[in-house]
Amino acid sequence: MDHTMSSRGSVEVFTQRRESSGRILNLSQGNIDTEYIIQEIKTNDEDLRSFLFSLGCYEGEKITIISVLAENFVLSVKDARYSIDRDLAEAIRVI
Amino acid sequence: MKLALTGNPNSGKTTLFNAITGKIEKVGNWAGVTIDKKEADIKKSLNTTEGRIIAIDLPGAYSMSPFTSEESITRDFIKNENPDVIINIVDATNISRSLFFTTQLLELGIPMVVALNKSDLNKKKKTIINLEALSKELGCPVVETTSTEVTNNGLELLISKVLETKGTSQIPPFSSKNVDLKDKKSVEASDKERFVLVNKIVKSVENRRVSSNKQTKQDAADRILAHKWLGIPIFIMIMWMVFSISQTYVGPLVADVFVSLIDGFYVFVEGLLGNDVSPVLSSLLLDGIIGGVGAVVGFLPLIMVLFFLLALLEDCGYMARVAVVMDRFFKRVGLSGKSIIPMVIGTGCAIPGIMSTRTIKNERQRRTTAMLTPFMPCGAKLPVIALFAGVFFNDAAWVGTTMYFLAILIIIIGALIVVTITGERNARSYFIMELPEYKFPSLKRAAMSMFSRAKAFIIKASTIILLCNAVIQIMQSFDWKFQVVAEGAQNSSILASIASPFAIILIPLGFGAWQLAAAAITGFIAKENVVGTLAVVYSITNFIDTEELTLVAGGSDVASIMGLTSAAALAYLVFNLFTPPCFAAIGAMNAEMENKVWLWSGIGFQLGMGYVAAFLTYQIGTLLTTKAVGTGFIPGFIAVVIMIGFVIFLMKKGDRKAKKKLAYSS
Repeated sequence: MDHTMSSRGSVEVFTQRRESSGRILNLSQGNIDTEYIIQEIKTNDEDLRSFLFSLGCYEGEKITIISVLAENFVLSVKDARYSIDRDLAEAIRVI
Repeated sequence: MKLALTGNPNSGKTTLFNAITGKIEKVGNWAGVTIDKKEADIKKSLNTTEGRIIAIDLPGAYSMSPFTSEESITRDFIKNENPDVIINIVDATNISRSLFFTTQLLELGIPMVVALNKSDLNKKKKTIINLEALSKELGCPVVETTSTEVTNNGLELLISKVLETKGTSQIPPFSSKNVDLKDKKSVEASDKERFVLVNKIVKSVENRRVSSNKQTKQDAADRILAHKWLGIPIFIMIMWMVFSISQTYVGPLVADVFVSLIDGFYVFVEGLLGNDVSPVLSSLLLDGIIGGVGAVVGFLPLIMVLFFLLALLEDCGYMARVAVVMDRFFKRVGLSGKSIIPMVIGTGCAIPGIMSTRTIKNERQRRTTAMLTPFMPCGAKLPVIALFAGVFFNDAAWVGTTMYFLAILIIIIGALIVVTITGERNARSYFIMELPEYKFPSLKRAAMSMFSRAKAFIIKASTIILLCNAVIQIMQSFDWKFQVVAEGAQNSSILASIASPFAIILIPLGFGAWQLAAAAITGFIAKENVVGTLAVVYSITNFIDTEELTLVAGGSDVASIMGLTSAAALAYLVFNLFTPPCFAAIGAMNAEMENKVWLWSGIGFQLGMGYVAAFLTYQIGTLLTTKAVGTGFIPGFIAVVIMIGFVIFLMKKGDRKAKKKLAYSS
């Protein structure tokens, strides 16, 4: 599971996509270019939960990791790109 | 007629607002730029009715769910102000997220038109949206717009649809009427159903060629620009380029023109006055007003170029990536990457910088950032840096650069102090930032931003700065009996007697002269005043030598007039840069803090920091250069120790609070 920049050196558009393995994990353990389904947002912060929801980040929705940069994760959720930190990535459980 | 413009952050609301009203409100390519609501009349060319149409630009919102602590401005506005029509600006490249808010807005019972904005981007991506189908599903008109284009932008059609829709009603596609707003579970369930409906609508009207979760060239660019190690040097290099272009290359070239104009004006007025006018009046007019203001205005071109470049930077979308890069470091001092944006903006002017802290959700982080942003040297402080670098250090480049690095150091220390005192060292805070698409920055918008800034500066210079300089000139020319002060007896002037008590406090810092104290005090009204007041008080008429393009005419003369050693001069510079900002910026701080304790602590911190930093600079500098400590070492040292001791006491108290919190949570 190589997240570093060295494994994605070229600038072309990728057409392949990896399949999710079907295990439940949190997003910080995920693979790039794999489409996951969100299972749960593990947090006590209701404001955060509502905010994530309004972006389309909630149980049952699709989420893909685009890059891992500097301990931040770039995600694709409903046609937008977001950068989140490791703490937040660990709170998003996916399958 | 009242129009409310609302929509997701970064959907192009403010650009559209500017386009239909002809205004130049602040725009930036990162979510959260619009903070307060703004109102203006629609352009005559678009307004085909007899009466006024007022457009109101609201801050962006992702939804109107009752449990989000932000976005209440939109909700409250619509409930309280009763707009006639709502224009919902929807980012055409992301309707699957945007329509959530749209369907909520449709339930308000206010006639609505959807502006499908950024439609030029969709054309590029070859995404097709069936407008009629979408309009049918939503139950309201949908107009394609591209607010960044001057012509062919869909705005006329938009306004005509708005006029048609006025007074009509629509049936919302989704109704949450039966949901108990107080019950979290049922709100959540209703919201999920809403998204199910939105997904269905999107599927039926949108046809994408490339799926969004595929890698693109922009993602590859992000991997470099926001790279773990490369990101920082790239950012430093870009900021360095911004500064060297404005301060070293383009700026001074244009300044040359300005200064010749001012010189010419001075000679002209001098000629007009002739020999019969009283010397007091002539010195008031020539040295006080033209000299003082001229000293400042000469720097205007440098500041204009700086603003132009900063606007380009904000427009292209890079700032969000900088926030990602810096997040790692800011986390260590209790902030997030988002705090870098106000600080970068603050290098132009602290006021918009402080206002942009509104996008930071965490209250403590927002207030801390608002308090620390003024430490970044702003455009008004540039003349001060330039003056001292020129007079005392031969225009050496290290002076300015050191000030910026010192600012960063102070910000880091400040953030650490605040997070320790508030006992939140171990608090968890999540960072999430939308990464907008990169776009080629609009030169036109950057130019407009530059000119609006120049206009504001000229207004400021011709009112506040002019007034200050005139008052200072008068106060230093007369004594309390309102008699003119003799040539060598300036110490009996009104100004001297007011400033002298303050000057005593400044002795341990190396600059305990009333003239310097007076200049520093006027700096609170506008930082440029430091230069203006010094020009007046020391009767220096011209800081910029037009023949040699050096920053000071007769640098060593000026140095000897001020009577400062290099260490003291550096200390004075540090003092003026790192004390509280001008009153206008303090006003902005007050608006963001929303809490008097924070506000006064912030100002107290800034005062203390300025004093301590100047003290250290002067004493250590003097020690290094003369192997002895400077004047007033002991009293200054005591004062500094008391200040630092107080802060450490607060920090220890906060530490105990933090440990307790940690114990509770585990």
